[in-house]
Amino acid sequence: MYLKLAWRNIWRNKRRTFITMASIVFAVLLAILLNSVKEGVLIKMQENVVSFYTGAVQLHKAGYWDEKTLDNSMTYSDSLVAQVVNHPDVDAAIGRLESYALAASEKYTKVCMVVGIEPENETLVTSLDEKIVAGDYILSDDKGVLVSEGLAEYLKLTVGDTLVIIGQGYHGVSAAGKFPIRGLIRFASPQLNRTMVYLPMTLAQQLFGAPDRITALVLNVDDVSDADRIERELSSEVGAHYEVMGWKVLLPELNQVLEGERAENVIFLFVLYMLIAFGIFGTVIMMTIERQYEFGVLVAIGMRNLKLSGVVVMENIMISVMGAILGTLISIPVVGYFYKFPIRISGDLQKAYENFGFEPIFYFSIAPKIFYSQTVVIFCVALVLSLYPLLKITRLKPVNAMRT
Amino acid sequence: MLLVIAWKNIWRNKVRSLIVMVSVMMGLWAGAFILAYVFGMINQRLEDAIGSEISHLQLHHPEFDIDYDPQFYLDDSYSLIEEIGANPMVEAVSGRVLVYGMVASASSSTGGKLIGVNPDKENHVTQLGSNVVEGEYLLPTDKNKIIVGKKLADKLKLKIRSKIVLTFQDVNGDIVAGAFRVKGIFRSYNSTIEEGNLYVNHADLSTLLKTNGQVHEIAVLMYNGEMVKEYVSSLTQQYPGALVESWKELSPELGLMIDSLDQYMVIFFVIILLALSFGIVNTMLMTVLERVKEIGMLMAIGMNKIRLFGMIFWETIFMVLIAAPLGLLLAYVTIYWLSIYGLDLSAIYQEGYAAYGFKPIIYPKLEAIYYYRIMTLVIITAIMASIYPAITALRLDPVKAIRKI
Repeated sequence: MYLKLAWRNIWRNKRRTFITMASIVFAVLLAILLNSVKEGVLIKMQENVVSFYTGAVQLHKAGYWDEKTLDNSMTYSDSLVAQVVNHPDVDAAIGRLESYALAASEKYTKVCMVVGIEPENETLVTSLDEKIVAGDYILSDDKGVLVSEGLAEYLKLTVGDTLVIIGQGYHGVSAAGKFPIRGLIRFASPQLNRTMVYLPMTLAQQLFGAPDRITALVLNVDDVSDADRIERELSSEVGAHYEVMGWKVLLPELNQVLEGERAENVIFLFVLYMLIAFGIFGTVIMMTIERQYEFGVLVAIGMRNLKLSGVVVMENIMISVMGAILGTLISIPVVGYFYKFPIRISGDLQKAYENFGFEPIFYFSIAPKIFYSQTVVIFCVALVLSLYPLLKITRLKPVNAMRT
Repeated sequence: MLLVIAWKNIWRNKVRSLIVMVSVMMGLWAGAFILAYVFGMINQRLEDAIGSEISHLQLHHPEFDIDYDPQFYLDDSYSLIEEIGANPMVEAVSGRVLVYGMVASASSSTGGKLIGVNPDKENHVTQLGSNVVEGEYLLPTDKNKIIVGKKLADKLKLKIRSKIVLTFQDVNGDIVAGAFRVKGIFRSYNSTIEEGNLYVNHADLSTLLKTNGQVHEIAVLMYNGEMVKEYVSSLTQQYPGALVESWKELSPELGLMIDSLDQYMVIFFVIILLALSFGIVNTMLMTVLERVKEIGMLMAIGMNKIRLFGMIFWETIFMVLIAAPLGLLLAYVTIYWLSIYGLDLSAIYQEGYAAYGFKPIIYPKLEAIYYYRIMTLVIITAIMASIYPAITALRLDPVKAIRKI
């Protein structure tokens, strides 16, 4: 009965209902849009940085991360790989053997990071083959190496020259070797560009006297944002002998930057919510004032204040629900459009982005979380604001109300 | 006459007018606040980076940046430092001897950037001394003492008074090594510095490197950050043998971050203005609809459409004119208050920051010119937003309008 009354009330004055609904629709739309661009930009950044080198999740022998020496390496066993790949969100696991060593040419010497990789699989995580600027990518049975551009420049070496690597191998054996340079790679990060040397896995294992051993398994996952969950689930699965680390542990600086950006964005959201809330509040107040007379008449003919306010709250809930749903529905094609055709950055910033190996684009996210969380927030705001007519009605004096 | 009616109309229904006025005030406040917030944020990052890492500008030998070969030091660097330090625009100067090498402790080894400094001067430029959290800062008289970052100390398992050995190539390409004792451990907002940089006395490193007391890098901190560009070009002319670079060239990442923040903010600003104008359109539309009877009456007794439009239009203008200065005042007070006490973001994202031991406090700041710009923008938005409701009023049929309760 009251439900029916509320429903009819809504449609008695269509224009007023539409205005109130529109303010909610628009609020939902704007909040979703703002969050979508915010998350889109940050998630893209996260994917970009993770694909520079580290990957989203890594597995090592327990203790390796604290003490990165070859003595903390592990056996590359098929059963371990099978166990890891068995996880539904992990596509592939690729092995790496990493160690610091000295890279030398005839005249110069420099500390470098020597990485043994499986050339065919490595491209899944880092698209290393696309970073070649001279020469060719290596194959798994190759006897040559890939050197980062900055390091090659320092050593005054180029494709076809010989690189000498000197260092310490597994259990203290001395590791030294001469390798022809097959290709040069360019990293956007200056730090990586100055230090990296890539060898095919078997060659690296020979060099360091560590046959069948690797220091890390890099996991290729479907969605970088799931890294935390995968880390947790795999950790308990593989046991205490291994450590599983997500990018937040592997790249604390990146996490720090992203968390900082998120914290700073909270203020923008807060300001937007305030504006939106006030927009909705304005319509609610006007609606209450406009209907004073009507309320007065109803109370005068015997409707209880409490029941009347119940009806009005129901009206508000109906309008809010419709507005929130409509706003979400409208936002889907709008965000979808920006997702498909993201905003391109132009000018100086474009160049700056490209120098860092980022695409000069502001991406929008279409994560479902954004849609429902924002809809729920705005819906709650609308509900809280509908307390205003409730207060007004419980205090309503019919005689005064009808006089206005 | 129309103006008087419009003015009186505003005060006839105070609640209604107040809602519109507060909407405009909120819009103004939000716009100014967001802008001040972004400026504060940029400022904060600049201060972090310039004040404790890269300084406003740096001088190097033109070939030093290519491969950090220690033989490319700045000739006659002492008089260079003196001359730059004598410039009234310059707040502090620090000369540094630099070399990349291996750092070995009893337990393990890693690569690092060894920096030989004059402790007092370096402290003026980068506040290194106040970032020392364990042990003590270097004294100019210390021999073979070293300051390392907390992260490096953890990595190499170093404590105060631990011994470490530095190995690197000198200017002739020969391998040299020196033993140092840890005197202090510092923290930095930038973990790369905390993990990679080691500071020793200038004389210690210079002797090992055989640079004859010359330096590789001169970092300059200026009083006024806006003069950097001019000073860079004047220094370039003055010392053709040195490569002079401003912080933007030295740290393109920082430039990128600030530029992208700028652009990102434009999107935010558009969304906020949209929210504001929609709020105003809605409230104005409500007020017109509420006044259907009144407007119908006015039309029935002969008020023509242009005058009616004018009346509603002037009402909006008056309300905006009252609200705008109040909104600005509110914004000014908020920003002023926050510029003194700061906005502590660690309350929002505790976990992100707590691990690093830094309090991210932002001090919003806005120059006067932006207040005017925002006021203009918001007033235009408000007036545009009042046009649709005014037109709606004109479409009313007086006969039907009067009949409405």
